[in-house]
Amino acid sequence: MKRIYIYLIAILATGAVFHSCETTELDLTSNPNALDTTQTDVDFFNNAIQLRYGTLMDSLGNDNAQLVRIEYLGSRNYLNAFAPTDSDYVWDDAYRQILADVKAMTPLALANEQYKHLAIAQVLSADVLVTLVDNFGDIPYSEALQGAEDILNPSVDSGAAVYAEAEGMLNEAIANFNREDSQPGPDTDLYYQNDYSKWIKLANTLKMKIYLQTRLVDDAALSKFNAIVATGNYITDSSEDFQFQWGTNENQPDTRAPKYAFNYTPTGAGDYLSNWLMGTMLEKNDPRIRYYFYRQVSAVPGEEVPPNEQTLTCSLESAPQHYIDGGFTFCSLPNGYWGRDHGDNDGTPGDGFLRSTYGIYPAGGSFDDSRFEPVEQGGGAAGAGITPLMLASWVDFMKAEMAYLEDPASAEQFILSGTQKSIAKVTSFGSLDADADLSVAPTDSDISNYLDTVGSTYENASPTEKWNVMAEQFWIASFGNGILNYNFYRRTGYPTTLQTNRELNPGGFIRSFRYPANFVNNNSSVDQKQQVTAQVFWDTNPASPEFPISN
Amino acid sequence: MKPNYKLLLTLFMALVVQLVFAQTKTITGTVIDEQGIPLPGVNILVKGSSSGTQTDFDGNYSIQASSGDILVYSYVGFTPQEEIVGPTEVIDITLTAGEALEEVIVTAQGITRERKALGYAVAEVDSEQLESRAEGDIGRVLSGKASGVNITAQSGLSGSGTNITIRGLSSFSGSNQPLFIVDGVPFSSDTNAQGDFVEGNSGGSRFFDLDPNNIANVNVLKGLAAATLYGTAGRNGVILITTKNGSSKGGRKKNEVTINTSVFFNEIGSVPDYTDKFGNGFDQSFGWFFSNWGPSFSEDGVAGWGNDAAIDANGTIEHPYSTASSGTGIPQAFPEFQGVRYAWKPYNSVEDFFRTGTVTNTTVSASGASDDGTVTYNVSGGHLEDEGFVPENKVIRNTLGIGGRAKLTNNFTVSATMNFTRTDLKSPPVSAGDGNSVFAGGGSSVFSNVFFTPRSVDLSGLPYQNPLDGSSVYYRQSNNIQNPNWTLYNTSSQQITNRVFGNTAVTYDFTENLNLTYRLGIDVYSENNVNYQNKGGVTDNTRVRSGFYDTYNNTNYIWDHNVTLNGDYDLSDKLGLSFNLGATTRRTVFDQNGVSSSGQQVYNVLRHFNFQLQDEIQFYSEQNIAGVYGQAELDYDSYLYLTLAARNDWVSNLSQDNRSIGYPSASVSFLPTAAFEGMRGSKVLNFLKLRAGYGTSANFPSGYPVATRTLLDTQAFIDDGGSFVTTNTTDDNRGNPDLKPETLTELEFGIESRWWNNRINLSASYFSRVTKDLIVNRDLDASSAFTSTSTNIGEINVKGLEIDMGVDVFDNREGFSWNLNANFSTIDPVVKDLGADTDIIVYSGFTNLGNAAIPGRPLGTIVGSRILRNDNGDLVTNSQGDYVVETGQFEIGNPNPDYTLNVGSSMTYKNISFNFLLSHVSGGDIYSQTIATLLGRGLTTDTEDRLNSFILPGVNQDTGNPNTVQINNSQYYFDNILFGPNELQVYDGSVVRLQEVSLGYSLPASILDKTPFGSLKISVSGYNLWFDAYNTPDGINFDPNVAALGVGNGQGFDFMSGPSSKRYGLSVQASF
Repeated sequence: MKRIYIYLIAILATGAVFHSCETTELDLTSNPNALDTTQTDVDFFNNAIQLRYGTLMDSLGNDNAQLVRIEYLGSRNYLNAFAPTDSDYVWDDAYRQILADVKAMTPLALANEQYKHLAIAQVLSADVLVTLVDNFGDIPYSEALQGAEDILNPSVDSGAAVYAEAEGMLNEAIANFNREDSQPGPDTDLYYQNDYSKWIKLANTLKMKIYLQTRLVDDAALSKFNAIVATGNYITDSSEDFQFQWGTNENQPDTRAPKYAFNYTPTGAGDYLSNWLMGTMLEKNDPRIRYYFYRQVSAVPGEEVPPNEQTLTCSLESAPQHYIDGGFTFCSLPNGYWGRDHGDNDGTPGDGFLRSTYGIYPAGGSFDDSRFEPVEQGGGAAGAGITPLMLASWVDFMKAEMAYLEDPASAEQFILSGTQKSIAKVTSFGSLDADADLSVAPTDSDISNYLDTVGSTYENASPTEKWNVMAEQFWIASFGNGILNYNFYRRTGYPTTLQTNRELNPGGFIRSFRYPANFVNNNSSVDQKQQVTAQVFWDTNPASPEFPISN
Repeated sequence: MKPNYKLLLTLFMALVVQLVFAQTKTITGTVIDEQGIPLPGVNILVKGSSSGTQTDFDGNYSIQASSGDILVYSYVGFTPQEEIVGPTEVIDITLTAGEALEEVIVTAQGITRERKALGYAVAEVDSEQLESRAEGDIGRVLSGKASGVNITAQSGLSGSGTNITIRGLSSFSGSNQPLFIVDGVPFSSDTNAQGDFVEGNSGGSRFFDLDPNNIANVNVLKGLAAATLYGTAGRNGVILITTKNGSSKGGRKKNEVTINTSVFFNEIGSVPDYTDKFGNGFDQSFGWFFSNWGPSFSEDGVAGWGNDAAIDANGTIEHPYSTASSGTGIPQAFPEFQGVRYAWKPYNSVEDFFRTGTVTNTTVSASGASDDGTVTYNVSGGHLEDEGFVPENKVIRNTLGIGGRAKLTNNFTVSATMNFTRTDLKSPPVSAGDGNSVFAGGGSSVFSNVFFTPRSVDLSGLPYQNPLDGSSVYYRQSNNIQNPNWTLYNTSSQQITNRVFGNTAVTYDFTENLNLTYRLGIDVYSENNVNYQNKGGVTDNTRVRSGFYDTYNNTNYIWDHNVTLNGDYDLSDKLGLSFNLGATTRRTVFDQNGVSSSGQQVYNVLRHFNFQLQDEIQFYSEQNIAGVYGQAELDYDSYLYLTLAARNDWVSNLSQDNRSIGYPSASVSFLPTAAFEGMRGSKVLNFLKLRAGYGTSANFPSGYPVATRTLLDTQAFIDDGGSFVTTNTTDDNRGNPDLKPETLTELEFGIESRWWNNRINLSASYFSRVTKDLIVNRDLDASSAFTSTSTNIGEINVKGLEIDMGVDVFDNREGFSWNLNANFSTIDPVVKDLGADTDIIVYSGFTNLGNAAIPGRPLGTIVGSRILRNDNGDLVTNSQGDYVVETGQFEIGNPNPDYTLNVGSSMTYKNISFNFLLSHVSGGDIYSQTIATLLGRGLTTDTEDRLNSFILPGVNQDTGNPNTVQINNSQYYFDNILFGPNELQVYDGSVVRLQEVSLGYSLPASILDKTPFGSLKISVSGYNLWFDAYNTPDGINFDPNVAALGVGNGQGFDFMSGPSSKRYGLSVQASF
């Protein structure tokens, strides 16, 4: 009886514990704080891929531009100029987001017969892969993106193999653009507003880019390049320009061009601009200078006004011998173009409202009408700039390089046509700045004079100087994205007129970046490259530091 | 069958029972101790029955018994005594004090055990060591009082979080914070920081909701054998707290009211010694830089200001608000400063920035008991106002608690406690600083910018606000540093927590030997968070600049059911058995909801309507754990004890196959001084106990590690047409359906002894704990498509030694007595294995600067960049004479101390007592951004010898010859010490600290007799009054007791976020 009683109480008490079923539910594994993998949407994936591609290329384009003096680089030592952690974002954007999203989207898009979605994703993936190889050399491909299948340490494939995959992907994309969809195309097309003929042109142009870049290691590259040129089905007109359009929203989300957002602030500009690029355009009286650069003051210390140790330390210093020997700009430029020399690593004085910053093109800032007013958030075009990704003008420079190989004189037409397209595009931005006084904008005759000068300079130049003329014009036209220029520089070694590093001995030029820190730290199949002088597969030029000449 | 008969009668016919017992007679008497003082609350039982009583306040009792019955008198701290009922009806008893070690203490699941029976270490801290303290945080008050318990304050801010670990880390992704059990039920001790350590760590630890003055005692169960019954929650050790409301010791006095009130002053404890020789600038030239490498404050000499063009003959410079760029708006807003000159001299900017806060604390508690001692109750209330040494930092805590216990005549005992706490914490934000400003993320930090204020900048003399728009203004010419005073008054983190916790328990005694207890515990808190910054701050983050206002509520509840069957039988004369069988479920739900607004319209109006944009804040997680457990203790002749226990848990957030885990434990305790005839009664060795324990436990992951999600962003971009672009993207975290619980195994050996008439006690424990299948939030290479996953890998082994010693140097109750006690602990956590896939996991901090697990190396090893070495191991310098940085994850420090030694002294002379607690942490590296920044920016006296050149020891990178390049002060300190390789920012964190000191006076009874007071004690005390981190630069006054990575597993980091506080004041304790 006693036992029965005990049982009774025990059962009652246990019942009280376990019968309050909320506390004993043992299957609570799904996460209510996000969607699960069955709730995904092909359009949303496509949007993510388009958007992330734009931001990734903007960042990489800026990093690459710093190496070739289109932008300022603040390191006296090439090895440490970019820490491996500085590249972590590249892997995250490229693999974890863009390529993984493409992989997740592909079966859904095929099942839904949404071939346009797939084709866009393939074009962008192909260019991501090519750009990763250009920057890092060998990268994971065949074992990549299979974490769910327990491949957590993918090993690398050769750069050449990845290039071949990218070329195949572009061909597939073109085929997919030509397939009949049972569904409408993507809801959002941030690049070509659902004009798929332009996407096909882009795909062909990216193939031309591959052939140009592999021309040192592929004897057939020139003929493959010319075969596409012969079809005419590639980007030839500025209306077909491949570019990312930024907006003016400051917050939630910030849609402004990054170059704008970081420089049009209440504490002034955050970036320094390249003294080489500003000096070169100033010297050439380039009609794009007021669009590219916005001056906040009319004079830099040490030029029209006395040196000032508080605002520009180097204005009190004398140029190092190798600058004097090379005849480079040192420290300051006339007319208020306030930037920094390549490699200058001085501390940062409170010069946010003194230094020159980005103008209306491509950042969507202010047109420089010599107003010499401080920047302000919301000023100019409020950030509605672009990131140029593949412009018709650049395609002309690609053609110029190929033409030069056959006949240097034949390249001139392409240089001029590229420059003319670039100037036309850049000057069209003037009207975006509502406050601008465009009366100081270059006139048509300024522009034609400029083009004439470029032409005659090219004609009169030696073969080597011709390369420099071509390259300098290509550099100027590329402001906003240095990816092609970084490749050009490693492929040709030109221009040889670039301002060298402030440091006499900065180490060999960066022929490829070290791998991102998270890649080597978290992947046991890969070892870090201890140097930045490793050459990518298509770069068969002499080793650093003998090449390139400007280092 | 007679007991059953009685049982039924007791249950259903209480009146009849009265009649049955009416045939017995009433025994009365008084129980006193050897000094003749009456003892209230002595338990008196009729042996072999369930009837019993307690003495009243005057030691009197009465009980029904028959002739020949045996009465058992027992009382804590006294030897139990038995009396046979004879013809007399009055039995007076004198109890003799027993061996102090035969005390009964509370162990896991509320089971009381004799201390000598325990096969594992339990540390006890009584209320005297907790009351009247300057810190209102129970975590911090426990500091130094128990061996093996490591307590780190996140910072000296009032109400900031506190990190507690017992016996080191046993996991590096799971929580290592101990389980808090308050009055027998789990108590959430979470720290819900607002943002991570980068953005700011504001947010207190929820054990702050306990009032130390209301705690009766604290037991710390350190090992796994001790905590098996708590299951997974007990794996990191258990802090068992009995509040005065939950204490069942009531009844010593009929009624008592105690009041404890104190006033303390709270000052910053670690102000650097700033230089008064040099001012703002670089390379001995004046400029409005962040740094203090400018001209000297004397006119003459190489660095004299007389050489500087910017400083005029009167020793003045142009006012910074006169020369600021017009783009900042400062010259327009401050016409009064245009053309004004400003004296070139040192200003005590940092010293004057802080204040002395006042801390007041009052706790009132009342307790009482019914005449027969069967009903006891306690009520308490407390009010704490703790002003930080940082203006605008304050915490207010109100507590109210009630508790009671009644032993009913029908064999039921019911008890309940209920506590309400309201904690109102307000603090300026604290973000990690990197020596320039705050880390990316865009938050503000009250400390980051203030500590490196150049000496010639008059922080308190400069207006901090633009009178036209309220924005921050400061000395930089482009205004790109936020004024610390603006931060104080325009940005804040607030957390108002309302919390209710308590439990109710019902025990039914089947017999004297067997009872069943059901207990329900609840713990609900609602944390209302407000986090804002007015528009006009200085940061790269547009959102923060526009002004933001986040409000959200965290509701957390724990619902804990527990039922146990407890038995206690004598199997034979010498062999006793007690057992506990139980089942429990615990449900924890965390629900966060709120709104995040940005784009402030009208300055300083903090309501959502005043903001342009709103975004959601929402997060939910829940977890259920069900467990069954059992424990059996065998006791042989009171000298050999064996305890066996086991538990099985089921958890809700793992795949079905991995949901269940069982784990056993065993411990043995042997008392040679009781077992061997020859050792009994020795005057030299009074007591010796040898013990050994084997314990296991498991650790479950939190959150939802099994699920792979898809991340949706409804506002990823805005297209040309002005529409939001929605994106979804694959999960960055790889869900792992194969994830299993971690398993922990611990072996522990110990000795406890008392010597020379119990004047010396010495105990020691050695433990070795192995954690396998560690649940690791492992970072993945993004080319695998994921950047992290939860996985089981590796093994870590923590070994440690804890020694506690107490000596009664003088033991004269009437005159002078002096007790010294010390505890020593050393803990050595080593990573044994990380599996085949990886050889390093950085689990806290940044991947390139954080705490790592590396096989064969101490857990927590600090990794970061270092100075490049050549093949000979020489340090390598470059052509400029600076060290070449080698980036990567190199070992640059070990944050684990070699040992910790705490020495407490307590002296009393008549009514005067003097106590202090000294603690010494030896070793343990710390990456200190505070030290690096103050040196790197030339601010402290350590950098006054700066006019000579420096040559870094090393060899030149290109030539291989010894470096001969001379560099100047700023290049040495700024480029190398501050912004050079991380290795150079690591210091030895050894510290000696006067943790507590107090002087007390108790009014003698002769005076109190004429007053209503039963006792009255006044004491003055101080907390953290002095410390010396003797291996860090003297001028920094650095206090290594900071946890810059927040409450968690990170250790050994300081990101300019944690100056410590020192407190001193007066307290009065009275009872009547």
